[in-house]
Amino acid sequence: MKLMPWLMTLLRGRSRRQREADLERELRSHLELEAEEQAAAGLSSEDAHYAAQRALGNTLRVTESTRAAWGWTFLERLAQDVRFAIRMLRKNLAFTALAVVVLALGIGANTAIFSVVNAALLRPLPYDQPDQIMQVFHTPPQKSFPGISLFAVSNANFLDWQDQQHVFEHISLYHFHGMNLTGTGRPDSILGAEVTQDFFAVMHAQPLLGRVFNAEEMNPGRDREVILSYELWQSHFGGDPTVAGRDFTFDGQSYTVIGVMPERFQMPVRARFWVPAAWGPTDRANRSNHNSLVIARLAPRINLQQAQAEMDTISRRLEQNYPDDNAGWGARVIPYHQQLVADLRTPLLVLLGAVSFVLLIACTNVTNLMLAKTAARKKEIALRTALGASRGRVLQHLMVEAGFLSAAGGAMGLLLAHYGTVLIVDFFGNHLPRSIQVRLDGWVLVFTFGISILCGLLAGLLPALRLTRTDRTLNDSLKEGLGRTDSDSGRGRVRNLLVMAEVVLSTMLLIAAGLLVRTLWVLHNINPGFDPQNVITVTVPRAPLKNDPRHAIFVQQALERLRGLPGVQSAGAVSEVPLSGQGGNNLPVQLEGEPPQPVAQQKMVGSNTVTPGYFAAIRVPILRGRDFNDADTDDRTSVILVNDAAAKRLWPGQYPIGKRLSITFFDPEKMREVVGVVGDIKERGLERPSPPALIYLPHRQYQSSMMSLVVRGSSSSADLIAEVTRAVHEVDKEQPVLDPQTMEHVIADSFSDRRLNMWLLVAFAGLALLLAAAGIYGVLAYSVRRRLREIGIRMALGAQVADVLQMIVMEGLRPTVMGMALGVGGAVAVGRLFTTMIYGVKPTDPNTYVAVIVVLLAVSLGASLLPAYRATRVQPLDVLREE
Amino acid sequence: MSAMALKSPDRLELLQGTLDMIILRTLLLGRAHGHEIARHIQRTTEDLLQVEHGSLYPALHRLERRGWVAGKWEKASERNREYKYYRLTVAGRKQLLREQSKWEQLAGAIGRLLAAGQEEES
Repeated sequence: MKLMPWLMTLLRGRSRRQREADLERELRSHLELEAEEQAAAGLSSEDAHYAAQRALGNTLRVTESTRAAWGWTFLERLAQDVRFAIRMLRKNLAFTALAVVVLALGIGANTAIFSVVNAALLRPLPYDQPDQIMQVFHTPPQKSFPGISLFAVSNANFLDWQDQQHVFEHISLYHFHGMNLTGTGRPDSILGAEVTQDFFAVMHAQPLLGRVFNAEEMNPGRDREVILSYELWQSHFGGDPTVAGRDFTFDGQSYTVIGVMPERFQMPVRARFWVPAAWGPTDRANRSNHNSLVIARLAPRINLQQAQAEMDTISRRLEQNYPDDNAGWGARVIPYHQQLVADLRTPLLVLLGAVSFVLLIACTNVTNLMLAKTAARKKEIALRTALGASRGRVLQHLMVEAGFLSAAGGAMGLLLAHYGTVLIVDFFGNHLPRSIQVRLDGWVLVFTFGISILCGLLAGLLPALRLTRTDRTLNDSLKEGLGRTDSDSGRGRVRNLLVMAEVVLSTMLLIAAGLLVRTLWVLHNINPGFDPQNVITVTVPRAPLKNDPRHAIFVQQALERLRGLPGVQSAGAVSEVPLSGQGGNNLPVQLEGEPPQPVAQQKMVGSNTVTPGYFAAIRVPILRGRDFNDADTDDRTSVILVNDAAAKRLWPGQYPIGKRLSITFFDPEKMREVVGVVGDIKERGLERPSPPALIYLPHRQYQSSMMSLVVRGSSSSADLIAEVTRAVHEVDKEQPVLDPQTMEHVIADSFSDRRLNMWLLVAFAGLALLLAAAGIYGVLAYSVRRRLREIGIRMALGAQVADVLQMIVMEGLRPTVMGMALGVGGAVAVGRLFTTMIYGVKPTDPNTYVAVIVVLLAVSLGASLLPAYRATRVQPLDVLREE
Repeated sequence: MSAMALKSPDRLELLQGTLDMIILRTLLLGRAHGHEIARHIQRTTEDLLQVEHGSLYPALHRLERRGWVAGKWEKASERNREYKYYRLTVAGRKQLLREQSKWEQLAGAIGRLLAAGQEEES
């Protein structure tokens, strides 16, 4: 075997050869000594030599019986089996290749999914004692926020938490913060986070360069300092090691870089820089505006329950002290890791379940292949048994063969998994935090090794046990002519059972995949409330200087230029593009004519800032009143539009036009008048059962620094995006133009995670179906070969082609139908686990079930036809003559 | 052990397993190579028990495999040559004790049996 000489050496070569040499040397020295003695007794040297030889006896026999005394060690026997197994597998290349590929698919799929599961759910996050890191949320009053369980935190409440708690080592607040970076080559808008002082202490994180914030820098005026992420340092600062201490322009102001964080520090996810949350008295007193997230590290010897209990106590105290703002608001402590992967857990576990089904099917298929092949080797094995091979020995020999297959399958599977993982990470891209690195690490290798061994055991044990089971097998197979009689009907039953099991698993997988396909179909057909066709959007973030009239003027100029382009039908701008996944805001409002209410009691609506022309561009109807126009400027009456849902929520049963309200967080004194009602849009997710209540503010009256242009063109969107970018740069060549995409893409993106899940499940179900079909085909093909004689006799006795065809096809359909019945039952039973992954269909959706059954029947019929056709080609005379 | 030799009628045939015990007993005195063991057995039993040299080696290797003796190539003390010397291991020592007591029991039992027969005869 030049295949793996080192392995052979390891298992057999040296020890055995050395022992032979040893024995020879030992016997030689014995002969010499004996000859010396005989010579001393007076014999001639030649006679002494013969006498010594006589005394020892036949050297060959001595050597042989000594060798027998050595016995074969386990390793040596294994080596023999390995050599034999390789010979057998080589001889049956087609069988070997098929089995290895089948196993590799199963093992590869499992390894790929497991590597994601391992990275996301099992491996600790790359921080010091990551289990101690907690995220603390508000829990909002259910009356105002039905169905929302976790809520952002307000500054004043955070400060009280920080002062009153004794369960956290450190606690810190942060929120996302975008800035425009200029002067490093290319203008760019970057997402970072504003953090309170203990932020890095909570994470136990040390900077790679420089330092982190000190208490001094948490005061307004001292806060022009920034810490860079490794990524930003590399991308915009060229990894310059002298960057600390230097000044750069963020949002048109000079910031000093004081430090760089290490590469793995990604907190919060996607943040590329950190600036201090420097609060003045107003910021510190802000109790009702919930804008931020809180992270904390448990103090030593404090557990989650204790921390939760403490936060409950503090929350109740705050409710009593500040009933206006805090009535009904609680707090919830959740491990950070759990929160980070909350959305991934169910899909990942479902996928893991799916691939384990695929693996089981793959193993079953290989078991079937092995059964068929070992059946053909029955005689050989019977002979070996008859010649004295023990049952254990034959068992070991067969297991080694199966082990070889699964090892090869595992190795190839690992290769497949490597590419599969790259593919999945590409797909998952935005859904995986960067602190979670998917890679084939030690645990994944252990897992792959484990399932390979398991596969080998599963695939090898059944055939091995069956073959070595009884003496009956031995005697019968020695007597029997091979492959012509039907004496091993028992094995046929086992093979049919295995096929049935494959069909059961495939059915369940297909139903799961079918339900996801239906879900996606449902989502695709939901009317978002606007017309996304031929609409593109780009984001044009401006430096967030409050109420800088230049923002609005810039946007207006850009829009005017756009409207002049030949390919543009209409154009507008909006602060938050529908379905872009930013989640929107919730603002308490005070209605004119109603008694003043505390903030916690006020009605909530979302808000969005728009320019005139926005609704025309995405074709949202103005139901009543008018759209904004260019006359709705700062010095005129403050006006708003409301959507239908908001009109019904705020003034049920009344005519909304002319009603007035004030927005507590923006300007509680300023009354804004409703001038129109627009149609509802599914702003915050197609799956939300009802559209959110929204008010729209005109950009000239309420500025946003993050406006997105929304442009309806007459044709191809790629050209349109280029034209829009050019037009924007004609107005301001320093202006970053971000996230260019079509509205259709925005919508599709809003359920991209579902699409990913669907594709993966469809792929796995398809694989399962393919393997099951191969299984059905294999069993039938084998059965037909075995029954050639019987079929020949039947035909000789007058059976027609149609009869034979029917007989074989029915044989194939029987396990399929039974498997489908059980699979449907199984799918109904476990369907409930699946409800969070589907939308708009029931787990027992009859259409899906029917479709799956039809597909399975068709496939199994297809798989049966070839063997059946072959059966009909049997020439009775030929078969009978063979006897 | 069918390899036991019967060179003449007054030499004794070894019972099965006895050779092992004899080898172990020989090694109790210290290390020895195959030829020394054969010579020793012949001398101490005054040639009554003659072991065919050829049967010694399978027995030694069997004992080695079971871990009762350990073989090692070592220089002979009186000459500049290496031989494979065997030594008794701890396990071998225990095994020797077991075999010895078994043998003594057997010998005692047979002795008593024969003695009883003589009494009846007389």
